[in-house]
Amino acid sequence: MKVIKIDKKDWAGGIEKIQSSYRLYGPVKSDAFHDFKALEKGELPDLNFSNTRVSPKSVVYPQSEVMFEYSLDEKDAEHHILKDAAKDYSPKAVLGIRPCDAASFLLVKRNFDTPEYKDPYWIKSYEATTFVGYACNNPCATCFCTTAGSGPFNEEGLDVLLVDEGDCYYAKVITSKGESLLNAAGWKTGADGGAPDKIAALEKEAGSRIASSVTTGRLKDKKTTELYEAPFWEDVSFACINCGTCTYLCPTCWCFDIQDENSGCSGVRMRNWDSCMFPLFTIHGTGHNPRGTKLQRVRQRFMHKLKYYVDKYDNGIQCVGCGRCIRSCPVNIDIRKVCDMMNSYDPKACACPAK
Amino acid sequence: MLGYIDNIREISKRLLDEGRVDMIIGFRKGTIPLMNEPCFVKNSGELSTLVWDSNCGINLANYLTDRKEKIGIVAKGCDSRNIVTHIIENKIKREKLVIIGIPCKGMVDKRKIAGMFENGIEDITEEDNIIRVKSRGVETSLNKSDLLQENCALCVHRNPVIYDELAAPLIEEQKSVDRYADVLRIEAMTAQEKWEYFKDLISPCIRCYACRNACPLCYCPTCFVDESRPQWCGKSQDEIDTRTFHFLRAYHCAGRCTDCGACERACPVGIKVRQFTSKLNKDCLDMFGWEAGLSPDQRPPLDTYKPADPGDFIK
Amino acid sequence: MEHMGVEPGRLSFSWISSAESTKFVDVVKEVTATVKALGPNINFKKTAKVA
Repeated sequence: MKVIKIDKKDWAGGIEKIQSSYRLYGPVKSDAFHDFKALEKGELPDLNFSNTRVSPKSVVYPQSEVMFEYSLDEKDAEHHILKDAAKDYSPKAVLGIRPCDAASFLLVKRNFDTPEYKDPYWIKSYEATTFVGYACNNPCATCFCTTAGSGPFNEEGLDVLLVDEGDCYYAKVITSKGESLLNAAGWKTGADGGAPDKIAALEKEAGSRIASSVTTGRLKDKKTTELYEAPFWEDVSFACINCGTCTYLCPTCWCFDIQDENSGCSGVRMRNWDSCMFPLFTIHGTGHNPRGTKLQRVRQRFMHKLKYYVDKYDNGIQCVGCGRCIRSCPVNIDIRKVCDMMNSYDPKACACPAK
Repeated sequence: MLGYIDNIREISKRLLDEGRVDMIIGFRKGTIPLMNEPCFVKNSGELSTLVWDSNCGINLANYLTDRKEKIGIVAKGCDSRNIVTHIIENKIKREKLVIIGIPCKGMVDKRKIAGMFENGIEDITEEDNIIRVKSRGVETSLNKSDLLQENCALCVHRNPVIYDELAAPLIEEQKSVDRYADVLRIEAMTAQEKWEYFKDLISPCIRCYACRNACPLCYCPTCFVDESRPQWCGKSQDEIDTRTFHFLRAYHCAGRCTDCGACERACPVGIKVRQFTSKLNKDCLDMFGWEAGLSPDQRPPLDTYKPADPGDFIK
Repeated sequence: MEHMGVEPGRLSFSWISSAESTKFVDVVKEVTATVKALGPNINFKKTAKVA
């Protein structure tokens, strides 16, 4: 694999060059947190971060997105006809995305890009994006990527992987899309022969720093109904306040709700992220709610990520181990704990409810 | 406050064993530093899971709403005031509760501490007024009084206002605290400055509703933002919809808010949501001499009429 | 509401009995004049800026 060496003094100049052909997104610090934002001309991504507070999924899949526009004015010849909203699918690039977050796009892709159904907004936006990853030399205490199908130097979902090596970045070229971006920046110097070894050493060290893990191997063999009826859900869900923090911060949560909003004689049809934690997510027109209790909603979130998804796609859990939901949950509900409970659940051994 | 836990467990054991309660609601040790998890214990053999330290900021009154069991609940000053409010508003029956009062010396601000250690925090221990933080193998000692959550630093009701048992002797309340400096600062702004101030304040909001859901006052079966017939408030990230939510959430708390800080603590993006409610609390105090949840025998100012009620704003 | 940046004068409260028709008229006139003087409320208006 080709490795390019980017001297840190060439970093800003290269980014300025890319900006003429790409819309750039990168981590930007505001107050105490980093978040992915569109970078202004000349603005550099701030790579002095562990990971962003909110996941970068919004770069491809905004929290609110207008799909159609329409007129309700009957004098208008084309009233009551939905028209595609104007979209910008020109090339864009995310700089400094962590490998776990990059892997999440492949996971979400299984939902938005299937042989049967294709979500045009997500697919076009995704295809327009070049993912420039940033390897984690110092993972957080809550990171469990290595047991969730990813890793601090994982290349899946990335076009380029940057590795910080003090004075320079090593850029591993993963796809031709990535190569085009590096060319556009004018970063062309091949790295010295020792680079792969240095990268491997950093990778090994980062991997050894991952202190937490999940066990997932037995989830697939569990009976769905037995997990569904497991006694531990009351205990797991007790603290939950049913806010949308876990799902909105999660890079792999993809659910949305469609709304029409009118203003005077015109309106838009938009979609907004939705959350299975909200009662409104499932309420029927009749007023009946099949998931009316907090226990049912909490169970749904974990069953979806750790059982239904596992069964449906046979490709691991619907989680990349970024740890955001653990760090930001207001009441400390921890997916690692729940995953282990589910993975080790034995209905026969547990006749009494786990409290 | 560390010594409290032995008493909490002992009282809880007695209550459970004597059958006076069906469950104890308290905290268990969290899986990450600076966090504990609200939990229930039904079996006195499992009381060792209960903990008490400076990371028990979540308001447990929130877990009482409409429950039918007999409950023993661990309650700080603010929790006890919300229990009073719950009793006044018929969300729980007093006789169903055994309140284990905690004279509270304040909870620490998890964001403030996390922000001080960019390399992450491996472990935290505390004793009395000292917090020891271990980060990358290096231990740092900090003064707890410098790290309190803002509402705890400004708290004048640390002792529980209503209780059946006490986990420790009552403590001295804080005096001469300037509780409303932030409100006064905003009051001094022009209308446009105020508008911009709140615009910036809520700009990171992701509409997860953690502030609403962490609040013991927010128990409406359907919140106004979730109403669909009619839909009062848009669902997108539109700034005006977000603002409408925050405005109305605050107003629904007028005369009821105990400034427990649950909303601010819960916010995943660190919005100082108390900036909305503090003004209402100050107005209630100035206009009606009222602070929420101090006594189950007093009706709140907004559901009673007194001839002397201020009415200058009515033309 | 003024604390949160809504201009003074946009929001009014009145207590008018059904017998106080003249007061009703006066209040409506006054409120209308005040709001007109403030002009359109440009702050509290959705601009539909979502992507």
